[in-house]
Order: sequence, then structure tokens, then C-alpha cells
Amino acid sequence: MIEINQLTRVFKDKTALNQITLSIQQGELFGLIGPDGAGKTTLLRTLAGLLVISEGKGTVSGFDIQKESERIKPKLGYMAQEFSLYEKLSVLENLRFFAELYDVSPKEQADRIPDLLEFAGLTSFKNQRAAHLSGGMKKKLALASTLLHRPPILLLDEPTTGVDPVSRREFWNILNDLHLDGTTIVVSTPYMDEADRCSKVGLIYQGNLVICDTPAGIRDRLEGEIIKIVTDDWQKARELLLPLPGVLEVQSYGEALHVLVDSSSKRERELTRILKKHKLTILEIRSTSPRMEEAFISLINKLDQVN
Amino acid sequence: MSFRHLWAVIRKEIQHILRDRGTFILVLITPTIVLLMMTYALSADIQHVPIALLDYDQSATSRSYIQHITAGDDLDLYIIVGSIEEIEELLTRGKIKAAVIIDPGFSEDLLAMRGFSLQIIIDGTEPESGGFAVDHIGWRTEAFANQILASQFQTRGFALDSIQPIDLRIRAWYNPNLKPRVDLVPGLLSIVLGFPALSVALTLAREHEHSTMEQLLVSPITRIELLLGKMIPYIITGLINVIIIPLLAIVWFQVPFNGSFLLFFALSALFLFAELSMGMTIGVFMRSQSAALAASLLIVMFPGFFLTGIFFPIASLPEMARMESLFLPGTHYAIITRGVFLPGIGMDILWPSAIMLTVIGLSFTGIATLFFKKKLA
Amino acid sequence: MIRRILSLVKKEFIHLKNDWWLPVFMIFGGALELLMIGWATSRPISNLPLMIWDQDKTAASRNLVISLDNTDIFDLLDPVESMTSIEDSMDRGDINAAVIIPQGYSEELSVPGGEPVIQAILNGAESIPAREAQRAFEGVIRDIGEKTTIKHLGLNPDELSGFDFSLRVWFNEALSEAYFTTPAELGLMLEFTILLFAALTFSREREFGTLEQLLVMPFTSLEIIIGKSIPVILVGMIDFSLMLGMVHFAFKVPIRGSLPLLFLLAFIYTIVELGKGMAISIFSKSQHQAFLLVFMIGMIDFMFTGYAAPVESMPQIIQYLANIIPAHHWLDILRGILLKGSGLMDILPSVIALLILGLIIVYFSFRYIRRALD
Repeated sequence: MIEINQLTRVFKDKTALNQITLSIQQGELFGLIGPDGAGKTTLLRTLAGLLVISEGKGTVSGFDIQKESERIKPKLGYMAQEFSLYEKLSVLENLRFFAELYDVSPKEQADRIPDLLEFAGLTSFKNQRAAHLSGGMKKKLALASTLLHRPPILLLDEPTTGVDPVSRREFWNILNDLHLDGTTIVVSTPYMDEADRCSKVGLIYQGNLVICDTPAGIRDRLEGEIIKIVTDDWQKARELLLPLPGVLEVQSYGEALHVLVDSSSKRERELTRILKKHKLTILEIRSTSPRMEEAFISLINKLDQVN
Repeated sequence: MSFRHLWAVIRKEIQHILRDRGTFILVLITPTIVLLMMTYALSADIQHVPIALLDYDQSATSRSYIQHITAGDDLDLYIIVGSIEEIEELLTRGKIKAAVIIDPGFSEDLLAMRGFSLQIIIDGTEPESGGFAVDHIGWRTEAFANQILASQFQTRGFALDSIQPIDLRIRAWYNPNLKPRVDLVPGLLSIVLGFPALSVALTLAREHEHSTMEQLLVSPITRIELLLGKMIPYIITGLINVIIIPLLAIVWFQVPFNGSFLLFFALSALFLFAELSMGMTIGVFMRSQSAALAASLLIVMFPGFFLTGIFFPIASLPEMARMESLFLPGTHYAIITRGVFLPGIGMDILWPSAIMLTVIGLSFTGIATLFFKKKLA
Repeated sequence: MIRRILSLVKKEFIHLKNDWWLPVFMIFGGALELLMIGWATSRPISNLPLMIWDQDKTAASRNLVISLDNTDIFDLLDPVESMTSIEDSMDRGDINAAVIIPQGYSEELSVPGGEPVIQAILNGAESIPAREAQRAFEGVIRDIGEKTTIKHLGLNPDELSGFDFSLRVWFNEALSEAYFTTPAELGLMLEFTILLFAALTFSREREFGTLEQLLVMPFTSLEIIIGKSIPVILVGMIDFSLMLGMVHFAFKVPIRGSLPLLFLLAFIYTIVELGKGMAISIFSKSQHQAFLLVFMIGMIDFMFTGYAAPVESMPQIIQYLANIIPAHHWLDILRGILLKGSGLMDILPSVIALLILGLIIVYFSFRYIRRALD
């Protein structure tokens, strides 16, 4: 469905995308993960035909994104990160406007709009001016507008950023339903935990596609096990634990430390002993299997070290 | 081109215009207010120009001359001075616009039928008053001199009806009294109707600034649909003014209207189209509204004010400026308005201007479409 | 407080850095515009198309035609032979004037006591050139008339040369049009630039929604006002200097008065227009509105600069109105200092008027703005 090969975009001395090669199959729910400024938005915009490519090629649904972008657009549902509705128009008027632009016939509009309003929870708001909606409702309305023309491909740029946790969950339920229906979805998100819900994940860092695999595949790449430790002085604990044998990495998460060890059964007791020896109180200690987050941070750290 | 897409954009723009009460009202009343003020200010009947007189001759003739000069409403005797320094001061302070210095040999020369001379000093900073003063002092002096000369001739036995044998009969067509108001008001229409139309330059930048542009670009809408869809609502609001403003001119200011209103309406729509297309072209290149404003001010407004033949005849412009004026819709519209109002001519004569407006409109719409990329960067 | 104002100014300049080319564009664009328009319009009216129908076709009539041609004002077109041609051309606006020399003109002219007639038609649809044409006609006819009379009377031309006057034009000896037009054009551009810039200051932030951000920061409203004013004042003064230089060097308009005084008064004028502009910007809900208001006010003010007609000849009510327009007094000051070499005492009434107006406008604007911000 989406094929890109050595895609590069250089803008004003900055390489926003560096030789990205990627292939997304039809029906996949693909997650694009990466920190701010990594290039997620740039990549999505390029796929949508909004940006010019410096080098490389790409096709969406068989059409070249550089030369045939206008033919892709009817099949695409794109939700920009800064998607803003027309504040002076009502919810309904906004939806109708976009429906017209995508050539959704009046009959189809009459069928779909009530459903979309329903699933976005906006039915009672339909005549309200868009300016009066809350952040979460605006995002849901934005998603609804991209679905009006039942596109086979969805490109969503950080759709859950700035949305409350409840709405976020609802959002992902919707995405899952669409996925089950066969829609190809590419979602970008800075939230690592959302990556787990995708069928395939790509990590973008500083314009490079660092890794592209299933969530399980990525997690498995991280050799070792995680011991989660909460102490009363995490900075000191970190200092103490880093040089210990078998400790591959220490990541800090607020008060907690996630320690990557080669084997938790082997090392847990040793770590506990050292910490206690230095008079640190252990509030919690647990071994878990590595999560996406840790895998990513580990990868990013390794990249930074190389640079 | 999909009319569905076009209509969707037009409808959205109109909804926006109507729901922004403040702006809508402003768009409607600005032309009216500006026209009112400008017309009143410009329908100047120069009168009562203050002058000073310095009489070195001090004769009965010179005193009679002074009386004669200031007898009418056109020139007012501000003061009779005794020295040039006084004149200088009065001119500098702006108390007088001109002064006449009568030389010592004035009456002698005049009565001897010799050439005589006067010194006229005018305030060169003000072309209108200065020129007016020269003209009227000239006419009155001449009339006075001719009177004297004629009587002198008769006492010497020359039979002469008048010094000036040639009867110059001047008529001014369309505007018999050459009242500036009559021809300026139609000319002002192009300023008053055209400039607010330039706000179309803002509309693309506004989508950028309000973050709604991205979604538009990613949709299947074509460039021409988007641009035209944005221009048409402005033509509609412009046409509302096209009805109101001439009514104001005709009813309130009593400017004669001799032509066909239907023709005027149609050609005004064409003018709006041309002006809007220029505004839109500017809008395509500007990312921010302020930039679009500044650009339309400099590129269309100022030249539109000075170079369209309203205040300054195009025939007198240097070649390059004359070429530029051809590209300004205001130039052609001024010809149209003047023609429709005053001589009341029709399409058979106005067709070149109509063609020019069409050409300008289509060209700039084309340029705007060409340069408007459906890309962010 | 000074430090906070400085930080605000710095912030403004940082913001401006993204759009730094905007004030530059306005300043240089404006100056360039002034150059171009000044160059185009600061010239006497000339080249007016004139159509002649010579029904007489004698030496005398040809002499008249030649005299008309010799004026700079007319551009003689090919002669015509019918009224219809004249009517059509007039209707079309192709000619500004037409002259009909009736048959018998030469005969009547050659006989003392004869009654030669010349018909002249002016295109009243353009009254300004029409007046010039009228003046030219009268001049040419007068000359011919005088010469004829002298001949008839058998007088020695040296004895009677009629009435002659020598014209001295003060402040503008060369009668350079640029002296008239460029100060007013400068005034227009300066006012528009300052007004537009000032009007955008707040309306922009309001439209972007950053006005609220500004208000929650620890600045007093006075500091905000001053902070936003400084870039505008800078732009205004740079613009003025540039345009003044242009007017002086390119159009040879002299600066006969005191330059420091001129700059001081320019500074005051900038602040006055700034006050107006900022009031507009707070009042407008969007940049579009600000633009319409600036256009409206700018056009009206321009009338009072005396560009198209002297203020004295306007209806009384309008003349009273002129007194509250800062641009009116500013143009008097500008023309006074540049062309008349006026000192402070000479232009005192205008200066006082400007100061009073300035104080009122600035005071009320700032109060209004403070109230709106708070």
C-alpha cells in the first residue's frame, strides 16, 4: 500500500528525513514513534503530498507521491497535528464542508454523518460552533471529518496529543475497529505505550528510521530483563547501580529506576544488597519484561553514544 | 472544475463573512464614508484667496486698479502693505497666497499705452491657490487694462471695439461648469470600490494563520476551485456596494448619470474580478496577513490612487508609468465610470476597457493558480 | 520598569525577526513607491490630446494651429473634418479638448472691427486637465489678439506690448511640481505606514490568541504599550528619514528650515499617528478590520494634506474638521520647514495644534488601551 525508498528531505540545511525506506502493507495499523522533532510529521506530510521530496521515491496505493499526489488525495484521510476547525462554523457545517470537498454525495452524507457524530460523541453538539468544543471533542471531530469519505488509508499525526486519558482510550478503540474493518492506518505518536497497540511500529529519530518491526519484535531485541526499583534517593541509587556487573543500562522514570540486567534472577539479590549497604531504602522492587518504552530509550541511547 | 467543490468553498466563505458582523459592516460602510469625505473635500470651489498689495505708484489709476482686482469673491484683499518684507512675512506665515507689487510707473505707462509690468508673487508651495491667484489676477488686470486702453484709443481717434478682437467661445461638455466633483466622483469609485476588495489578499494567509490550510491542501480540491471560491464572495459583497455607492453619488451629490445602469453593473463586476484577481495573486505569495496587507498597499493601492488617471491625467505620465497604469484595473474602470456617468456611452465605445479588464482578470487569476502550490513547502 | 520594557521590546524584535522583512518591505517599498510616483506625477500637465477642425484653412488658421502646437500642453492629433469625429472622440475620452476654426476666421481677423470667432470644447469628464487646457487656449488667443490689434492700429509693437507681468514664485522658483506633490505624497505614505504598523500590533496578537499570554505576564499595561510602541516609532522615523532623503536628493526639494526641528516634529507626529493606530488595533477584532479602518482613516486624512485641493477652499464645516486632523498640521509644518524655511515662530500655530491634538489622541488612546487590556 505504502512504499517508500530512500526518501530524503532536506530543508534549509536540516535533513528532516534521511534515506527512509519503509513498506506498509494494506490493512496494517502502523505506529510511527519518536520524540518531538524526529520527523514524524514531516514523513506523514510527505506521504500526504504536502511536502517536496529532495531524494528518493515513494508511492501510496500505487501512485507516486511526488508526481501524482492529487490522485492519492481522494483515498486518503489525513489528520494534521495542528488540525483546526473553522471556529465560526458549527460541527455539522464543518463536517458538511469537508464532505463536499471529498465528493461524498448528499445521500451518503445523510447516512454517515449521524453515525460519525454518534461515535465521536458529538450528536448533541452538532449545531454548536466549533469554537465552543473542548480539546478532546475537537480531536474527535477532526477524526470524524477524515472518515467521511471512507478512505482506505488514514494518516493521523499525533491524534491523541493533548487529549484526556479517557478520550485517548476511546480513540484507540475506534482505531482498532477501523483496523479490523481493513483500513490501513498510519499513526504517529510520542506516547510509547500506544505503540503496543499497533501491528507494526517504526521508530524515527533525528530523521532516520531506526527500527521497524512488530511491537513484540522490538521488545525482544532488548536482551535482558528489567528490574524496576523505587528508592528514596534515585540519583544515588543510579550511581551505585551503574557500574555493577550484569547491569546493562539504568533508565530513570521519575522516582523509579528501570535497570536492565542480563538476568534478573541472577542479579536482583546483588542489587538489593548494594543499595541496602549504602543505607538506601527500597520502596519497591519488581522484575518485569521490557516494555516498548525501555526498548526505545535503549535504542536511542545507543544511537546517541554512537554519535 | 467541480462546481460542488467551488460551491462548498463559496458557502463557507459567505458563512464566515456573515458571522463576522463587525467586519461585514465595515466592508459595507467604509466605501460610503470614504466617498462622502473625499467628495466633500475635493469639490473645492476656490474662493476668497487672500492677497496683499504693495502700491508704489500711489495714483488714482492704481487705487482704481486695486479696487477692481478685489471686487469679486475670488480674490480677497487681505491687506495693503508698505514693503516687500511684509509680503515675505505674510507669505511665510501663510496669511496670504499671493501678492501684487505695482511699480511706480504703472499709471503713466498704462495711460501712455506703453507696455506696463506688474510683479506677482505667489506661494509656490500650494499649486492650486497659487495658480488660481495668477489666473484671476491676470484676467482682472487684463480686463482693467483693456478698459483703460480702449478709452485711450477712443480719445486718440482709433475706432476700436475692444482690444481683444477674437471671441473665444469655450464650452465644457458633460460638466459645463467644470465642477471637480462631477468628474472626480466617478473616478473615486474605482478607489472606493476597489480597495476594500483587496482584502481578498488576506484570505489565504488567514487559513495559514488559523491552521486550517493544511486540511484544505490535503483534500482533493483543485487550486482553481479554491481560489475562485474565495474570490467570488468578495465579488458579491463588492457588488452590494456597486449598487449603494452610485446611488449615493447620484442622489446626494447630484452627479449626472446618463448611461445604462445594467451595463455599469456588469462592467463593475468585471472590474471587481480584475481587482480581486490582483489581490489574490498577492495573497498567494504571502504567508501572513500583515504581509499581504502591506504588499497590496504598495503594489495595488498607491499606484491605483496616483497612476489611474483620476487626479493626474494619464497622457501626462512618463512612458513607463503609462505602461504600468495599463495593468491597473482602476485605470480602465475610471474610463468606464466616467464614460457611463457623464457622456452616457455604451458598450460599443467601452469595449476596449472591458476587454482589458477581462484580460487582467484572467491573467492574474491564471498567475495566482500557477503559483499557488498545493504544498506546504 | 525600564528593564521589563526592554525585555518586551526584545521579545517584539524576536517575533519581528521571523517577519523581519515586513517592516523592511514597508519602509523600502514605501520609499521606492514614493520615488516612482513622485517621478511620474511631479510634472506639469502636458501632452493632452487635442483635436482640431480647421474649416478655414488659411495662413491665419494654420498660424493658430501652430501656436497651439507650440504650447507644451497639447499633443496635436490629426486634423478632422466633422463634428461626429469630435463627438465620438470626446465620448470615448480620447481627447481632452477640441478646437473648431470656422470658415471666415482669417477674413474677420484681417479686418479691423471684424468679429473672428474660435470655438473650443473641453472634455469636462476630466476637469483638472480641462482647466489647464482652458488656460492654454486663453493664453494663445490673447497673444494672437494682441498682435492683431497692434497691427490694426498701425502701432509700433514696441510702443504697445499690452499688459505684461513678471511672475515671481516664492519658495518654488522653478515651479517644480515636485515641490507641491512630493511633500503630500510623503505625508500619505508615512501616515499609512505608521498607521498600518501600529494597527497590526494588537489586532495580530488578538487574532493569534497570544494576547492573553501577554496579559498574564508580569507587565503592567503601560509597559506593554510602551514596549509595543518602540518598534513602531523606530519604523516611522526610519521611514521618514529615508523618504525625506529621497525627496531631497531625487526630487531636489530643498530643506530650507531647521533639520533638527523637522525631525523633532516628525517624531511628535509619529507618536500621534501611533496613538491613532494603536487605538484602531485594540478596537479591531481582526487584522482584516484593522486594515479596513486604516484605509478609511488614511484616505480621509489624505484629503486634508492639500494634495488635490487646498483646504481653504473646502466647505466651512470641513475646514473645521481639518483642524483635528494631525496630518493637516503636519503637512503645513513639513511644507513650511522644507520650502519656506520657516522657523518655530512661523509655524507655531500648527505646532501647537499638533501638540494639543497629539496629547488628546495619545492620552485617550492609551487610556482606552489600558482599559481594554485590563
